[in-house]
Amino acid sequence: MGWTGAGATLAGCDMPTTVTLEEGKEDVVSYLTPEEYVIPGVGVWYASTCQQCPSACGVHGRVREGRVLKLEGNPASSINKGRLCQMGQAGLQAHYNPDRISKPKIRRGSSLVDATWEEAYGLIAEKTANISGSKFAWMSGSVSGHQSVLMQALLESIGSGNHYVHETINNAIWSKVSQDMLGDSNPRLRLDKAQSVLSFGADFLGTWNSPLHFSTEYAKFRTSPRGTLIQVEPSMSLTGANADLWVASKPGTEGALALGIANQLVSKHGLSMSGLPGDVQSLIRSYSIAETETATGIDAEEIGKIASTLKQRAPSLVLAGASAQGHEHGYQSVAAAMVLNIILGNVGKTIESNGEFAYASMAPLRGNSQSLVAFSQAAAAKRFDVAFFSGTNPVYTAPKSLGLKESLANIPFKVVFSHFNDETTAMADVVLPLATAPEDWGTHVAPYQAGVGEISIQQPLMEPLNAETKGFGDIVLTLLKKRKESAYEGFADYYAYLRNAFSSIPAEHKNGASDDDFWASVLSTGLIDVGVKESSLKVNAVTFDMPKGLGNSSSLTLAPSARLGFWDGRHANLPWLQEAPDQISKVVWDSWAELHPATATKLGVKEGDMVKISSAQGDLNVKVYVYKGVHPDVIAVPLGQGHDAGFSRYAKDRGVNSLSILDPKVDKMTGELALYSTNVKVTRAARSDDTLVRFGGSETQVGRKLVSTVPADVYERTEGGDHVA
Amino acid sequence: MSLSTLIDDWSRYRKGREEGGFHDYEHMWGMAIDLNKCIGCNACSVACYAENNLAVVGKEKFEKGQGMHWLRVERYWDEPDLGEERTTAFQKHGASFLPMMCQQCNAATCEPVCPVAATYHTPDGLNAQVYNRCIGSRYCSNNCPYRLRYFNFWSYYEDSWPAPLQMQLNPDLSVRDKGVMEKCTFCVQRIRTVKDKARMEDRKVMDGEFQTACAQTCPTEAITFGDMLGMYDPESGVGETKVTKLWRKHQVELGKTKQNKQTPDMRGYRVFEFLNTDPCVMYMDRVREV
Repeated sequence: MGWTGAGATLAGCDMPTTVTLEEGKEDVVSYLTPEEYVIPGVGVWYASTCQQCPSACGVHGRVREGRVLKLEGNPASSINKGRLCQMGQAGLQAHYNPDRISKPKIRRGSSLVDATWEEAYGLIAEKTANISGSKFAWMSGSVSGHQSVLMQALLESIGSGNHYVHETINNAIWSKVSQDMLGDSNPRLRLDKAQSVLSFGADFLGTWNSPLHFSTEYAKFRTSPRGTLIQVEPSMSLTGANADLWVASKPGTEGALALGIANQLVSKHGLSMSGLPGDVQSLIRSYSIAETETATGIDAEEIGKIASTLKQRAPSLVLAGASAQGHEHGYQSVAAAMVLNIILGNVGKTIESNGEFAYASMAPLRGNSQSLVAFSQAAAAKRFDVAFFSGTNPVYTAPKSLGLKESLANIPFKVVFSHFNDETTAMADVVLPLATAPEDWGTHVAPYQAGVGEISIQQPLMEPLNAETKGFGDIVLTLLKKRKESAYEGFADYYAYLRNAFSSIPAEHKNGASDDDFWASVLSTGLIDVGVKESSLKVNAVTFDMPKGLGNSSSLTLAPSARLGFWDGRHANLPWLQEAPDQISKVVWDSWAELHPATATKLGVKEGDMVKISSAQGDLNVKVYVYKGVHPDVIAVPLGQGHDAGFSRYAKDRGVNSLSILDPKVDKMTGELALYSTNVKVTRAARSDDTLVRFGGSETQVGRKLVSTVPADVYERTEGGDHVA
Repeated sequence: MSLSTLIDDWSRYRKGREEGGFHDYEHMWGMAIDLNKCIGCNACSVACYAENNLAVVGKEKFEKGQGMHWLRVERYWDEPDLGEERTTAFQKHGASFLPMMCQQCNAATCEPVCPVAATYHTPDGLNAQVYNRCIGSRYCSNNCPYRLRYFNFWSYYEDSWPAPLQMQLNPDLSVRDKGVMEKCTFCVQRIRTVKDKARMEDRKVMDGEFQTACAQTCPTEAITFGDMLGMYDPESGVGETKVTKLWRKHQVELGKTKQNKQTPDMRGYRVFEFLNTDPCVMYMDRVREV
C-alpha cells in the first residue's frame, strides 16, 4: 500500500480487548505479526478529506483489517473542527455501495458494454487526437487542488478554454454581489461575532456556502450573549427551522423587503445611507413602510420589528441565498441584502476579508448554474465534438426546458467519469469508473475558509474494492501522458505526481523538516496551511433597480428547496440518507410537496393526498405534506429524488425531480438559473396506493413536556456571560 | 440468576440513591443535550447507524414503525411553553427538535419486566441488553415510556447490507437477528475499549477520552457525554467532568423524582421526570426570542 508509514493513532479509540470479560484472567496475544499498522483488532485513524459536497471538510477514517469502517471529522480542520454532517457520515455508503460501476464501458449501438481501460483510453485518444480546442468541452463539479491543476493542463494541451463548472446548490450570486460591492467574492462571515442575523433564504446550516463550518459557528452565535436569527424564505429550510423569527416570503419579494427594512433603518432609526449611489438611495426612499407592505404582503409591524432588531442587536449580519437569488432579478435582491450590510455598518465588523489563496492554480473553482445554461446552449448550437463530464450529473440537474438531454445527441463523443450509473452516464459513449474518495488521492482547497489557506489532503483509506476502477487524478494524468508524454513521464501515477508537488512546495511551509518528514506530517495531520495573501474589503455599492409588482401574481410558485441530505440529488443512492427522515417534514424514502394549510384547504387536499403540479414544461405527481412553514402562494418540492436512470437500487423509481419542470428563466445580470420563479398549476390527483411514509406519529407534543422552550431574556438572565458548555 | 436475586437487585436499583441503595457503580455514563444549540440536522442519527450496525429496513417496514434508529431526531411544531402556535398563520419560531436516544434510566421501567433478565443494569449505570439472552417477549419495549427500544421483527441483515456494504460493519459489535430487542448502548463498545486501555495503563478513564458517536459528530456540540460520577483527572483524581458541571449548573440531580432548583429558570430538565425513571440524559431548554 502506498500510504503506509503515516498513520496517526488517535488517543483512546481502539485497543485490542486483551483481557477477557472475566476480570484479568488471561491475555490473548496473536502469534502473527502482520504488516505494519495492520494489527488485528486495532483500528488506526488516517486523515483524509470528505467529498460528499464541495465544502471539503477534513475527516479521519478508522481503518481496521484493511477496511475503512467509520468516518469522523478531523479536529485539525478549520472547516469542520472535528465534526461531520449526515452526508459525511454516509460517505462510506457511497464507497461500499453495491451499485457502483466496476468496469469501463463503451457504447456499442444503443447500449453501453463492458470494455477494458486500453480500449477506453484508445478511443479517447483517437477522438481527441486532432480535435480543435474550441470543439472540446469539460463540464465538472466544483474542483480544486492538484486535480484542478491537471484538468487545466489537459484542457490546455487540447487548446480548449471550455471548462464549465456546475453546481445547482451554489452561492454564485452572493459571490458576484460581494465581488462587485466589497471587492471579495467570498468574504469571511463572522457569525460568531454577530448579535443578529437576517438571512434571505441563505440556508447556512444546511446547504449554503459551507454548512458544516457555519453550524460550528452557529453554536458560538447562540452562546450568551445569544444572537437572534431571522430567516425570510418561501419554504422552511433547516436554518429557518432554527430561527427566532421565521418570515414566509412570497417568492421574488425578498429584495423589496430588504429595501423596505433599509428604508426603516434610515427613516426611523437614523442610520446613514450616504455611502450609497444616488439611485439606490432614491430606490430605498421609494420603499416606504406602506409600499413595502404592499409589495411583500408582510405586515408593517413585522417589517418594523426586523429593522429595530437589526439596529438594536448590533453588530448584525445580512445574508442572501438560494430562494432570494433564484429569480430573474436575483442579483438585485441579493444586492439589496448587501446594501443592508453597508447601511448597518457590518462591513469590517461581521464581514471581513478572507484573503486570497496563495496558489492560484490550486484555488477552488466554484460551480454555478449559469455554466449549465451556457453548456446547454452551446451543445444545442452543435459547438462541441467531444465533451467530458466529471463530478456532476447535469442531465439530472438541468431543467428539461434547457433541452440538455436532447442537445447531447449533438455531441458525437461524450466521456463520463463516474462512480455510479446515473442520468448522465446513460448518455455517455465512454464511462470511466472512478475510485471513491476513500480509495483515491487528492488535494482540496475548500471554497470557504475562515481566513486560512488550508490544503486538505485526501489519502486512500483502503485498497480499491474494484480492481478496475481508477482514481480521477490517475486517469487525467494518463490522458495527459498520451498527449504530451515528456512533461509527465516522470510520474508513475497520481501519487507520484502529488508526492513530487509536495517536495517542491516552497521551503517556508516545511518548517525545516526533511522532505519525507514533511510529507508524513502532512499526511498525518491531513492538511497544511499555506496562508493567504492579505487583502481588504473596499465598499463600493453599485447601482441596481428593483422591478415592481413582484407580489401580484396569484398563481402558485414552485420552490425546489434543497436539504442537507440528498443535496442536489447526488446522495439519493445512499440507504442511510433515504431512511434518515427529512429534517422538516420527516418523510422517508420519497418525495413530497409542502403546502400551507390555507392552500391545502383551497385545493381540497390533506396530508398524503396526491397533487398534480403542472408548469409549462411538464407535470409532477407527488404526495402532499401540510404545515405552516411555507408561504400560501408556494408549493415546495425538495430536491433529491426522481432519478430515472437506475441510480442504484435505493434511488430507483422513487419520487420526483422538481428541477425537471422549471421554466428556463435566468437571472438577468449573472445568467444563473432562476430556480424559484416557475409558476405552476396545482390540482388534486387520484390518490395512489403508496402512502407518504413519515417518521413520528405526532406533529405536536400533546401537552407533554418533551421540548421545553424558554424566552431568550430568561436565558440571558440565568446564563448570561456564562460560557460553560 | 434466580428470581429472588433479580427481585433483590431490582429493588436496590429502584430505590435509587436517595435511599442509600446501590452504590457500587464504577461509572455512571450520562449526557447533557443543549436544545439551544441543536439544529435538528440528523448527523447524530446517521453517525449512530454507522457506529452501531443499525439495519436499514426500507420504506414498507419503516411505515410499520420498524425503523431501527436508536437515536432519532423528533420534530414538533407546537411550543406549549410559548402558547402562540394556534393563533399564528406561520411557524414563526421554526421547529422544535429533540434528539432521543435511550435515556439510560437508573430506575428503568424496562428492566424489571424482562422475564429472562436480558435487560439489566450494569455497574456502569447503563441499561444493557444481552442479545443472546433475549427471547423477544417485547415486554421491555412495551414498558419504555420513551419508546426507545427497537425489535428485530425480521432478519433485517439479509437485505440491509448487500455486498459489499457489509464490509462497513463495525466489528466491535454484533449484527442482530430477528427476535431480539436492541437499543442505544451509549456506544458501549467505545466504553469497553477505553476502559480496557485505562486498565492496561493502570489509570482511570479520563473525561473526554472518548465520546459516543452522536456526541462526536454533532456539528454544534449540543451533546455532552461523560461520567456522572465525575472526578476523572488521572493525576489528581479531582475535578468535575464536563457533563457533571452542566448538570450541576442546571440544577438537575440524579436520583430525584422532583428537582428542587434554587434557580427555577435554569434550563435543565429530564423528559418524563415525573415517572421516576431517573434518566441519565438531561436536556436544556430550547431558547427563542419572543
